[in-house]
Amino acid sequence: MAIAIVMPRLGWTMEQGRLVEWLKKDGDAVQAGDVLLTVESDKTINEVESFDSGILRIPPDSPPPDTVMPVGTLLAYIVQPGEVAPFEQPDARQESAISVTATADTQVAAGMPRESASGPTVSTRRRGPRISPRARRVAAELGVDWNAVNGSGRTGRIIERDVRAAARLTATASPAPVLAAGEARPVTPIRRIIAQRMAESAQTAAAVTLTTEADATELVVLRDKIKASLTSRERSVPTYTDLMVKLTAVALVEHPMLNATWRGDEIVVHAQVHIGVAVDTDAGLLVPVIRDAAARSLQQIAAESTGLAEKARTRALKLDETQGGTFTITNLGMYGIDAFTPLINLPQCAILGVGRIVSKPAVHGGQVVPRAMMTLSLTFDHRVVDGGPAARFLSTVREYVEQPYLWLTR
Amino acid sequence: MRELTFTAAAHEGLAEEMASDPTIFVVGEGIGRRGGNFNTTTGLYDLYGPERLRDTPICERGFVGLCVGAAMTGTRPVVDFMFIDFILDAMGELINQAAKMQYMSSGRLKMPLVLRGCIGVGGASATHHSGSYASIFVHLPGFRVVIPTTPYDAKGLLKTSIRSDDPVLFLEHKSLLNTKGPVPEGEYTVPFGQASVCRQGTDVTVVAIALMVKKTLEVCEQLVQEGISVEVIDPRTVAPLDIDTIIESVHKTGRLLIVDETFAPCAIGAEVAAQVMDRAFDDLDAPVRRLNGVQTPVPYSAPLEAAVVPQPPAIAQAIRDVVAE
Repeated sequence: MAIAIVMPRLGWTMEQGRLVEWLKKDGDAVQAGDVLLTVESDKTINEVESFDSGILRIPPDSPPPDTVMPVGTLLAYIVQPGEVAPFEQPDARQESAISVTATADTQVAAGMPRESASGPTVSTRRRGPRISPRARRVAAELGVDWNAVNGSGRTGRIIERDVRAAARLTATASPAPVLAAGEARPVTPIRRIIAQRMAESAQTAAAVTLTTEADATELVVLRDKIKASLTSRERSVPTYTDLMVKLTAVALVEHPMLNATWRGDEIVVHAQVHIGVAVDTDAGLLVPVIRDAAARSLQQIAAESTGLAEKARTRALKLDETQGGTFTITNLGMYGIDAFTPLINLPQCAILGVGRIVSKPAVHGGQVVPRAMMTLSLTFDHRVVDGGPAARFLSTVREYVEQPYLWLTR
Repeated sequence: MRELTFTAAAHEGLAEEMASDPTIFVVGEGIGRRGGNFNTTTGLYDLYGPERLRDTPICERGFVGLCVGAAMTGTRPVVDFMFIDFILDAMGELINQAAKMQYMSSGRLKMPLVLRGCIGVGGASATHHSGSYASIFVHLPGFRVVIPTTPYDAKGLLKTSIRSDDPVLFLEHKSLLNTKGPVPEGEYTVPFGQASVCRQGTDVTVVAIALMVKKTLEVCEQLVQEGISVEVIDPRTVAPLDIDTIIESVHKTGRLLIVDETFAPCAIGAEVAAQVMDRAFDDLDAPVRRLNGVQTPVPYSAPLEAAVVPQPPAIAQAIRDVVAE
């Protein structure tokens, strides 16, 4: 009997998904475990595997790629060799059994039956990820697809903190997709999550933005010298963002209250500095995290950030690469922006906006001379920390921009 | 504020109530001239004599039956069992008569009876003097079961127990009797059914019973060093049980451990766990856990006795385990 392939439910909250592409063609022989297609839900693209072996048959009226459709929408059939596909025989569609489909990452689609009712192949896969009732509730509240979440409970169970970390996937403002005049476009899952998180940040944080201008001439010199010294093509030249990640991390070690998390009843001051870097992508804003940035070399940071940014643009980021940030940096300098008011990436305490480096007349050594100036915008949550400590932190960052050799002594 | 021992505070509560209400009298073995094995009635015989401080032979069923009848006539008897283990000899009178009489009389009769005695494992008291039995009475309709853990609560809850028109088990852990705590000079009572949040925390809720409240509080600072913030709840009365306070806490922490030195099966921890899963399942981030004493007759040997009830290191480990789930 033909086995139907439907849009899977990849999380309790998933109502619809977008068919990204077929990885098998109509008429292909497939084995159980083969990846049939990819589906976008929320912010992740998931590979959907077949649980059954046979011949893939895609009806002519199956939704084309890039279509958003409700969970359960019929996409294709798996038939046995010699068997006629239901859409090629009259009135037979309702006789097909519903198949189980699963993501490659997570093994089963939650909420779906785990075995086909009458199919000849029976899944031998392990049970799906286990999740605590509280984590499931929080996932529903935050719209997190927990199938893609790694559990940190003793037995691998997904617990509340894992879901909250997954929800911190996204960060600050994002450029709106280009809409033709008069065009209405359905809100994509990634847009919806960004909207929820931005609104939450704007509504709950007591956000204050401080700006200061730093003389980045020495930073430019430093980067130019590093660039000139790196002859091998294999080594990444640190970008200004990489330099800002490193020096901000060193500054955060000295100002731990800015490296804190608001948890309602308590403020958690983190021992390590994990810096999220806002990356603009076609689909929306993503914030991969560079871990333990204070302890790592500039070269390591440069290599990692190159990889993460590339993954963000190709949407290949794993969830844990976007989790656990303790501070965020957003650099709009490449767009010619000087100062702005970034939105805090909750529950972090603060976010640093980096403006463009621009040659301006400045007083240096008693003379008005052209200097490479940069504006820094620090938004902090006044619930967590007061203006004095935030200002001192920003002052340290400026000092490190102006005298980058100072980090060597820290 | 002045500090009193648990025993002195409870004694003060009894003395104040006896002074203001002549229908209150105490019955038990050695509670007259001797002043009670645990000094529960010291000095009161001199004030009120044998009419109101009535020593008895060793015949629990007899004098409990007497007090059940007296309570029905409008007096307020306090039965002092010394060790609560001896209540077992009066179970027929209590379960079949005391607990049912208000129901059987359609409320025309009241049963203002206090049944007090020491509970708990400690002091090498051996197995006839180490029981608690609270969960037996929680199981049955009609009883109030009160387990104070501080001098303040001992006085306030004993006064509420004496004024209650229902039969009340007033259970005093023998290892708490000499603990000191603040007790105000003036009149106060502590109502039934209001748990006390002894310590606020965010990571895990511990509901502790009797002496386990004190032992749990002892490990909380150590756990703070380890990054675990513990909220400790003392139900104070287990019938009625203030489940709302527990659920509110679990809503915050997502994790629950019940620590009770008595046996686990069908006991208070099981009841709390069931009610929490009923009403707060979606708040739970980990399975509810219990830490109980070993289900065995209590040994006389002091080292063995210590081994059959939860000690602070075991409590700390149980908390870590729940947090790690």
